[in-house]
Amino acid sequence: MMKQLFPIKHVMGYIFSLVLSVVALAVLMDGITYTVGLAILLICAILQAGTQLFLFMHINESKDTKTSLYLNIAYALFVGLVTIFGTLFTMIWGY
Amino acid sequence: MKINPNVPLEYGTEENSNRIFGFWIFLGAEIALFSTLFAVYFTLWNRSGSGPTASEIFELKGVLVETFLLLTSSFTCGLAIHAMRHGFKKATLVFFAITLLMGLGFLGVEITEFVTYVHDGATLSTSAFLSSLFVLLGTHGLHVTMGFLWGAAIMIQIKREGFTPDTTNKSFIFSLYWHFLDVVWIFIFSFVYLKGMM
Repeated sequence: MMKQLFPIKHVMGYIFSLVLSVVALAVLMDGITYTVGLAILLICAILQAGTQLFLFMHINESKDTKTSLYLNIAYALFVGLVTIFGTLFTMIWGY
Repeated sequence: MKINPNVPLEYGTEENSNRIFGFWIFLGAEIALFSTLFAVYFTLWNRSGSGPTASEIFELKGVLVETFLLLTSSFTCGLAIHAMRHGFKKATLVFFAITLLMGLGFLGVEITEFVTYVHDGATLSTSAFLSSLFVLLGTHGLHVTMGFLWGAAIMIQIKREGFTPDTTNKSFIFSLYWHFLDVVWIFIFSFVYLKGMM
């Protein structure tokens, strides 16, 4: 019963996400440069998002829709990243 | 109604599997929405004028509690769907209840944080930094509030009707929404709070 209620994959995913949050806290330590800090945050956040997407949201569970869902998310991310970096490009970096 | 027995109940009819697909497209639009808010925040986050700066007002403790609550609620929401697929009605309801209570706890901490900010003179109109911060956090918090009401309504339906193609479909779509809100929070946690305190 416990095994059916708490599948090992979900438990591992949960622990993994907690660990990633703790790892991300490393950026607050002295001696971590800004660039390294941003890199750590980016890697942790992407892994966290992947855990949610693949493990908890089952994005790849159906063969029929898998490719369309990947394309949908990829396109949304493309729009999002263009929005964010396009804004930074024009407003902050001064081009 | 033709139900395909080879897939989980929530995907069983063509209409229901289209609903799930449609919701993914909605989540794509949500990614675009939050991207615009992040873009504004990243542009304005150090324009604090005469008001407090990010590192002056952010408190790690509350943020860690919020992160823990949302990560755990995302986990229990996943467990709820897993239990649903095994047909355990009671376990599903318990896991959903824990999920929603943690969501409520998250909102409690966030509202306390907002009240503290305003009390310290950091309001929506104090500076460009605070405007963009409140709009970003507020939009996410509003989503969690909506999710809480939505999830509670679905729990009532499961309790009343049991697992039908309809209720399982609604539950699964709700779970997608809830996990998505957790993803958005991770980015707020990393690129608003931790980056602001670096």
